[in-house]
Amino acid sequence: MKLFSSYNRILAIITLTGLIVIGFLFYQTLGQYINKQIDDHLYEELLEVRDFTHVKNILPSPDGFDDVIVDYKKINKLSDKRKYFADTTFYNPKKKHDESARYLKTALLLNRQPYEVMIMASKFERQEQIKSIILIILLPVIILLLILWLVNRILIKRMWLPFRQLLINIKAFNINQEKVFEPVQTNIEEFRELNNAVLEVSLKVKSDYKEIKLFTENASHEMMTPLAVINSKLDTMLQSNALGKEESEILADLYKATSKLTKLNQSLLLLVKIDNDQLQDKEEIDLKALIEEKISYFQEFIQKRELQVETKISAFSVFANRSLIEILINNLFSNAIRHNNDGGSMMVTIKNDSLIFSNTGSRTGLHPQKIFERFYKDNASDGTGLGLAILKQVCLKQNYELSYNYNQEYHQFIINFKSSENKS
Amino acid sequence: MKFLIVEDEESLRNSINQYLTVEGNICDHASTYEQGYQKLSIYDYDCILLDLTLPDGEGLQLLKYLKKINKADGVLIISARNSLDQKIEGLSLGADDYLIKPFHLSELYARVQSIVRRRHFNGNSIFHFNEIEIDTTAKETKVNGKPVYLTRKEFELLLYFVVNKNKVISKAAAVVHIWGDDADMADSFDFIYTHIKNVRKKLTDSGCKDYFHSVYGVGYKFTDS
Repeated sequence: MKLFSSYNRILAIITLTGLIVIGFLFYQTLGQYINKQIDDHLYEELLEVRDFTHVKNILPSPDGFDDVIVDYKKINKLSDKRKYFADTTFYNPKKKHDESARYLKTALLLNRQPYEVMIMASKFERQEQIKSIILIILLPVIILLLILWLVNRILIKRMWLPFRQLLINIKAFNINQEKVFEPVQTNIEEFRELNNAVLEVSLKVKSDYKEIKLFTENASHEMMTPLAVINSKLDTMLQSNALGKEESEILADLYKATSKLTKLNQSLLLLVKIDNDQLQDKEEIDLKALIEEKISYFQEFIQKRELQVETKISAFSVFANRSLIEILINNLFSNAIRHNNDGGSMMVTIKNDSLIFSNTGSRTGLHPQKIFERFYKDNASDGTGLGLAILKQVCLKQNYELSYNYNQEYHQFIINFKSSENKS
Repeated sequence: MKFLIVEDEESLRNSINQYLTVEGNICDHASTYEQGYQKLSIYDYDCILLDLTLPDGEGLQLLKYLKKINKADGVLIISARNSLDQKIEGLSLGADDYLIKPFHLSELYARVQSIVRRRHFNGNSIFHFNEIEIDTTAKETKVNGKPVYLTRKEFELLLYFVVNKNKVISKAAAVVHIWGDDADMADSFDFIYTHIKNVRKKLTDSGCKDYFHSVYGVGYKFTDS
């Protein structure tokens, strides 16, 4: 729940219950007050009835009074002289509808005859008065509350505007981009502080990241020249006619080691390059044609391991950087070939905007997250441990969805191209 | 042919020099920007091997200077920098090719030959090796005047060996020449053997002598001695 709506909800609950409680109490007190007034009035009427009988020695006519109705009923004996006040309804013949009323019931001796006297007064007008009073008082309160709520809403929205902007800026912040974090202009102290803190963190992160990248790049570069020297010396040594079997084998091993180092270096540099978004130029790439081209390119590797290659590709093209897509496809192929069993099989499928590489290989599934980490290798692998990390980085940069699963003895790498279009 | 090697790393320069100084190639070298500048001003070369990072300057500046004084020398950039921008910048400044360190000397020589070929013979060059004739433009191979059909990879391989004749070519170098960066995929480089075997068979079937000599599992040598 948003801060604002949570705050609003609490406020609404408090004001509503407060309003109801106050209204109820108000209504009750007013009712009590009015009942008391009517009761006094009824009591006066009763006194008048008594006086009347005293003076005139006859009963007053039931409708002898203006606003009250007096009823007599003969009773056998005067048992209870107490006065009862209570609410009732009666039919008002003039207005032709039922009205609520207040009555006073008591027993009297009139002309030495016990009578039950009931004096009744309409409450209708008083009630109307209460209603008016309550409306007059409550309506402005409600309107005031509504206005307050509206003003509150607008104010808070405006006050949180810098916060929203800040959030948008933080989300837009990309460690790889040249653009630094954009601070928000605001007069509110708290937001300014937050702003500065985020700005500082972003700058620090950026410089740290840059340093690490620079280090990787420089270290890799610096290793290239010695590697070139080693390689050239090996080439020179190879030309010597005095090479025996043993020396040749040593030389072959050395070649293998330098080529591995070279590959490692190049992979690291490539990762930095992808991180730096250096490969930007995009074009339409026919994935079907590219895969077919790569199958013939890797043909020797496939034949050597006696792999069965099956393709189910419909025409499909992506809009991306060619080098990146080639790296992607190359890595998928090299992965599927390298980690396969001799005589195993691999399948390349394009279906529903997804490219799927499945291959046989080790009989157990791999860790779906760890395999994409840099330098993660299973024991059988003799690669650099960067192939899948590069794959992941390419997908990340292009907003492609990359996933791995193990299904019926097939290792599957799935790249969904569609997700990139949804996001951008 | 005459080459200029502009490279500050002495041992690398010497190796290149040693490798290229065969069969009448002449190598000049420069270890600094200044030396390179002077040599470029005075002499003409068939191909200049240019390192980009020099102790006292930027290799690309030499390239610019070369264009300024209107020299048509071939230029092969050899650099550890392999960013795409660098490559594009170098090539757009007029370099003919770009080789990333580390490289195999045989690959270097093949690239240099290809540059010279493009410069001097408009790419149209025919290599002869005894009864073998290789037309690099038409990508045709003939033995005793009769065409031999080779696949693209086989043709590239044969040309590579002929350019580096009398030299031992390591399997690693041959694999890199054909597959580039993806060469490390194979557990060993043995499968280059299949290709060599095919080329050999196609050549000997058409009446050619077998010039491929294997060198103890390290590589092969193309020679008639």
